[in-house]
Parts: sequence; structure tokens; C-alpha cells
Amino acid sequence: MTRDPATSRSASATIVLGAILALLVAACGGATTTTAPSAAAPSVAASAEPSTASAAPSDAGYTGPEATISYSIWGDPSEIKSQQAVVDAFHVVNPKITVKVTVSDWDTYWDKLQTGIAGGDAPDVFAMDGPLFPDYQSRGVLLDLKPYIDKSGFDLGQLADQAVGDFTTETGQFGLPRDLNVIALFYNKAMFDAANVAYPDETWDWAKLVAAAHSLTKDTNGDGKPDQWGFYTETSDMENYWSSLVWQNGGEVISPDKKSTLLGTDQAVGGLQFLQDLIWKEKVMPEPALFAETGDAFEQGKAAMEANGSWLVPTHLTAGIQLGIAPLPKGPAGQATSINPTGAVVFKGSKNPDAAWEFVKYLASPAAQTKLMELKASLPANKEVLSGPYGQSFDGAKVLADSIAYAHIKPSFRGYNDFTTTLQTELDENVFNAPNKTVKEAIDAVLPSLNEILAKQ
Amino acid sequence: MAVLPGGIRAAARRRGPLDGEGRWALLFLAPTLVGLAILSAGPILATLAISLTSWDLLQAPSLVGIDNFVALASDDRFLKALRNTFFYTATSVPIGLVIALGLALALNQTIRGIAWIRTAYFLPVVTSTIAVALVWQWILSPDAGLLNQALGVLGIAPRKWLVEPTLIMPSIVAMSIWQGLGTNVIIFLAGLQAIPTELIDAASVDGAARWARFRHVVLPLLTPSIFFTGVLSLIASFQVFDQIFVLQRPRPTSASITVVYFIYENGFKFFRMGYASAASWVLFLIVAFFTWLYFRGQARWVHYQ
Repeated sequence: MTRDPATSRSASATIVLGAILALLVAACGGATTTTAPSAAAPSVAASAEPSTASAAPSDAGYTGPEATISYSIWGDPSEIKSQQAVVDAFHVVNPKITVKVTVSDWDTYWDKLQTGIAGGDAPDVFAMDGPLFPDYQSRGVLLDLKPYIDKSGFDLGQLADQAVGDFTTETGQFGLPRDLNVIALFYNKAMFDAANVAYPDETWDWAKLVAAAHSLTKDTNGDGKPDQWGFYTETSDMENYWSSLVWQNGGEVISPDKKSTLLGTDQAVGGLQFLQDLIWKEKVMPEPALFAETGDAFEQGKAAMEANGSWLVPTHLTAGIQLGIAPLPKGPAGQATSINPTGAVVFKGSKNPDAAWEFVKYLASPAAQTKLMELKASLPANKEVLSGPYGQSFDGAKVLADSIAYAHIKPSFRGYNDFTTTLQTELDENVFNAPNKTVKEAIDAVLPSLNEILAKQ
Repeated sequence: MAVLPGGIRAAARRRGPLDGEGRWALLFLAPTLVGLAILSAGPILATLAISLTSWDLLQAPSLVGIDNFVALASDDRFLKALRNTFFYTATSVPIGLVIALGLALALNQTIRGIAWIRTAYFLPVVTSTIAVALVWQWILSPDAGLLNQALGVLGIAPRKWLVEPTLIMPSIVAMSIWQGLGTNVIIFLAGLQAIPTELIDAASVDGAARWARFRHVVLPLLTPSIFFTGVLSLIASFQVFDQIFVLQRPRPTSASITVVYFIYENGFKFFRMGYASAASWVLFLIVAFFTWLYFRGQARWVHYQ
């Protein structure tokens, strides 16, 4: 969810230039681009039956017949270029397998995926968001990769452990992490210099954040309203910041058995309350309505700091901000951030599971991960790349890579969308968009509904 | 839907009998009718079947009888969606028709450049809702928005048009009226130009003043057009979705969720296609009921020449 609102808003900010431009964007919005690799796509032979039996026991690569598989992801149309580079490189190593990439925007992606699965015509390999994985896996539409992992001797230890775990169930391994998203503190060096405030570092805690944010919140035109804000984040999804605050305060979002929520505890409420206070008590962060239409305040140079996801790095760099990246400030219970992997999973109904596995395996390889890394939009899931070249790939990348050590996995459970909609509707309306209620009052109001949703799963 | 036959009958009566040509009409209508049967009637019936099941799209459905409908009756979010949708319909349809009528009367002139002006009013109709919504998002923006800046000049305090619960739906209604105006204006213009000038001249000779000519000659003769645009607006307004989808990202609040959005989120986000189908049928029956009511009232105020 997180990526999409940000994308659409930054799009809308550009759009205001005129209706003609808007028309163009709207036309692109629903569009899906399909490209075939530059090499001629061989047609699938009628005899292209799944050949599990003949698959090599050791990792000798793909030995089956020529096959064409489809690979669907969500993202910007711009992402298709880097994905295509990965696919082309894969084709060089595995000339018998042709991969067709389809990129859709976030909402369209899931709509198409579900109707595709319902119609038995889903992509062979597709991207999976960590939190939504249980909803798909528990409904039996994903292929268990465990037999393929065992057969090929693939070492899961080469991938980030929490991320691998997000796709592990009691019965098997239903996907491999493709890349990781973590939350960190972005800061605008020019604004810090101008205000003569020291850059954030790993020693920062909540108090320091608030103090610095006060120094950086300014009303330069004297109209009584700040036109430079100390801090900015998105409040409409737990991943952007507030789940990290809950963890930093010793709280938890969901119970270990995923059948109830622990948001009612004082620790969890305290974490959320800190965010409401940044907006409505400290007034160092703009209320969400102010930037709901124009997009990210930090990207526009109107906020000095932003707690948000690694996916914003390329946008912030393109915006020409003198970008600094620091760990999130620590809370009363210590340091914590959120990590959310995007996985590559295989459709259970795939006609070419062997070829699909070969591709999923390749996506996790250092070669593919190094290519994806160049996008700067996410962290590689492969430890070799993560601890190696990634750390030097841009200024601040090392901070992101190091934060994985204390990161909590983004809550992932059945009924995630249902739960989040009920919870966020209450928080948006009564806590963040307007301080109608304290966090305690708001959480108490929705707690029964949230637990009912979880109990039903 | 019931609209088409009625509309055709009305048109037939106005233009004279189609006897003998009926067969030809049927032939030409066949592609549309076959399309409707396969692409509309089929899914509508399938939805009815699905509404009696619990189905997540990914696994086989299981029959649950009328459970989905029973659950809808006490679903707070659905009731809010219904309330918001009724508000939208009850405001956008009548206000939209009155403004369109006024505009059509103003545009029914023979002044220079009238064709350009008419085109301008029709432009929003052929513009995608997404694009229109993005522009309106900017107009309604609390900080740099055009509307708040204009109000500021008049000394009126800025409002958060798309966030304050009491303002969201009125803002969306305003945008929708602006966008849909062109269609109604075109139909009204056609209706106005079909009114024989002799009738108006005769009324003038009889001493009818401007208002009386409008009230007793023009307006009655325009009622078929008003009836037609009314039913189209009515049906479309119950299905309001795009505006909410774009203007209320990432999700609508309880003050802005509409029935079709509710259907969408249940079907595609919450893995409850059976429940979503039940909500679709409730909406279908509501639309059918109001359309029927509207047609029943037809005789009382619609005059065919």
C-alpha cells in the first residue's frame, strides 16, 4: 500500500500544470505494458509438459524443454526497464526460458491477479507483498518451493533471514524474497545547515527529534502558519512510521498467534500517541490534509525530516534534495524499524513450474540483485549484495543496510486489508486528520471490530 | 434495464409509428441486444448466484444462503455507504439538472462563437474522471487550492474540502455536477431546438410574456428531455465510484465511502466476492426501484407532443 499513494500523489503534484497532462497520466494509469525480451520468443511446444521428474537433482540449471513464462509485478512503468534488464540477463544464462514481464499499478495489480487466479490464468511468477502473503498462501494458490529448494540444494541462508521467514509456513517455503523495504529518517542537509542544527545520527531519540523539529519549523512569511516544517511522515499506513513507534515503545501490533491485536496496550497506544502529538501538540509536522493533494512535503523541500521507506530514495534524489539518511530516532524501549520484503512466488497452477523456479532462484541471485539495486528503490535480499556493493551504491545506503539488524518484520496475517481499513479509517478520521480523540479513545473504539476480523480468519 | 424500452417507446411516439420498420429496427439493434444478453444479463445472473455463496475468488465457493444479505443489514460500513450514496444522488441529480437546463437556455442562442462555447461545456464529459479529479484535487487543496485562495480574497477562512467530514460529499457532488453538465446540456439543447418556433410565436401573439412562454410552452415540451436525462443521471449517480477512488486516496472515510466502493473493497481487497455480490444486488434493486418509481410518475409531468 505504501508505495502507491506516494506515487499517485507525486504524480498529482505534477499534474496540476494542466488538464492535458492529466489526461495523459490518466491514460497511463490503468495501462499495463507487456514487453517480450529482445531475443525472439520461442513458441511453447505442445509437449511443454511440466517435467518435475526430469529436473536435475543438483543445481545444474534448467534442463526442461523450451518454455515461456509470465512474470507480473506492480510498480512504476519506469521499473519495467530494470526488470527487463534482469529478465534479459536471465535469458542469456537460460536460453530455453523466455520470460514476459507485465507491470501494473498497485490497485490494478491485485485486481488482475485475483481475477486471473479465479480464471485459472494467473502469471507463472508474480510479486507478493509481505503482509498479503498469508491471504494468498492460506488459500492454496501458491506453489510450495521446498521440494525445488531441496532438490537443487539452494541455500536459503544467503538471503535475509526475516525476509525468508515471511514466506515460510509450517508446511513449506512459498516464495523467495526479491527485495526489502526498510524505514529510516531522511533529512535535508541544506535545511539543517541553514538552521544550524546538527545532523541526525544513531544517538537520536524521540526527545531529540522533537527538539530538532521545533528548531526547523519556521514561519518565514509571518502569516502565523509554518511554511517550513521540521518533520513529515505519512500516517495512512502503519509501515511508514507508526508501527516502528509502537515497537520503539515496547508495544506490538498483533499477537504471536495472529488471532488478536495488541494495539490496546499502553506501550502500543503510547507509540501512536507520539505521532499524534507531533502533529497536533508539538505542531512540528503538517496535518495530513495539508499535503494530501500535493504529496510528500519533504520531497517538495517543505519539511526538513521525513520518516519513511527506502522506496523514496530515488524520488528524493531526483527532486534534487541534499539527502541525508539516518536511523530512526530511538524510543523509550530502544531502537526498532520496519522491514517489509517483496517476494517472488509461483502460481500453483503454473504449467512450467520448473522454469518458474529457475527464474525465482535467479531473481535472488547476486547477479539479479545487483541489477535491481541500481534502481535504489529497495534493498537487496541477498546478503552478499546487501553487505557488499549495496552499502556503497549511494550515500546513506549503509545506514539502511545496517538497520536490518534491529528491524521488525511488517505485520503479516490473514485479513490484513480488512484489519487495516477498519483501523486506519478510525485513526485517519479521529487521530491524525483531526484530533477528535486521543489514541486511547480511538483504539478502544475499534478494538472489538479488529479482534472480530482477526478471529474470523 | 427498464430504461431503454421506455426511452425507445417515447422516441417512437414522438417521431411517429415505426410499423413495418420494426423488423429492421430489431435487426440493427441485434448486435447491441446480443451483447447485452451475454455481457450484462449473464454476469447479473451469475452475481445473483455468487451472492448466495461465500467466495474469496481463490478457492471454491460454498453456499451460505441469504447470510450475506442478513449481514449487510447490520454492517455499519455498508449503511454508511448507502447513506453517502443517497446523499450524492439526492443532491447531484436535481441540482445538476437545474443548472444544465439554465445553461442550455443560455446557450440556445445564435450569437457568434456559440459552437465554441457549447464545445467548452462538453469537454469535461469526454475527459476521464481521473484527470478531472486530479485537477479538482488541486482546486480543493486546503493550502494552495484555487477555491481557498478565492475565498481568502473575500475574507473567508480556508476549509479542508476533501477532509472535513461534512464537506467531502458536497465537494465531490460539485465536481461531478461540473463534469456531467455537458451531457445534459447537449440533450436539453437538442430538446429546445426541436420545439417548433410557431408554438412560441403563437404564445407571444396570445400575449404570453417571456416567463409565461417558458413556463407554459417551453418547459412542458422539454419534459421528455428532462425525463430522459433524469433517468440517466439517477442511475449513474447511484454508481458513483471513480471520484471517490481518486479523491479519497488511499481510502475513503466513513463520510465518503459509497456503495460501489464498498463492493470494490470487499470483492477485491477483503476476499469477499460473495458479500460484494450481495451488496451489488442490493444496489441493483435500489436502482431498479427508483427507476420504476420515476417511470410511474412519468404520466403526471412528462408531455409528449
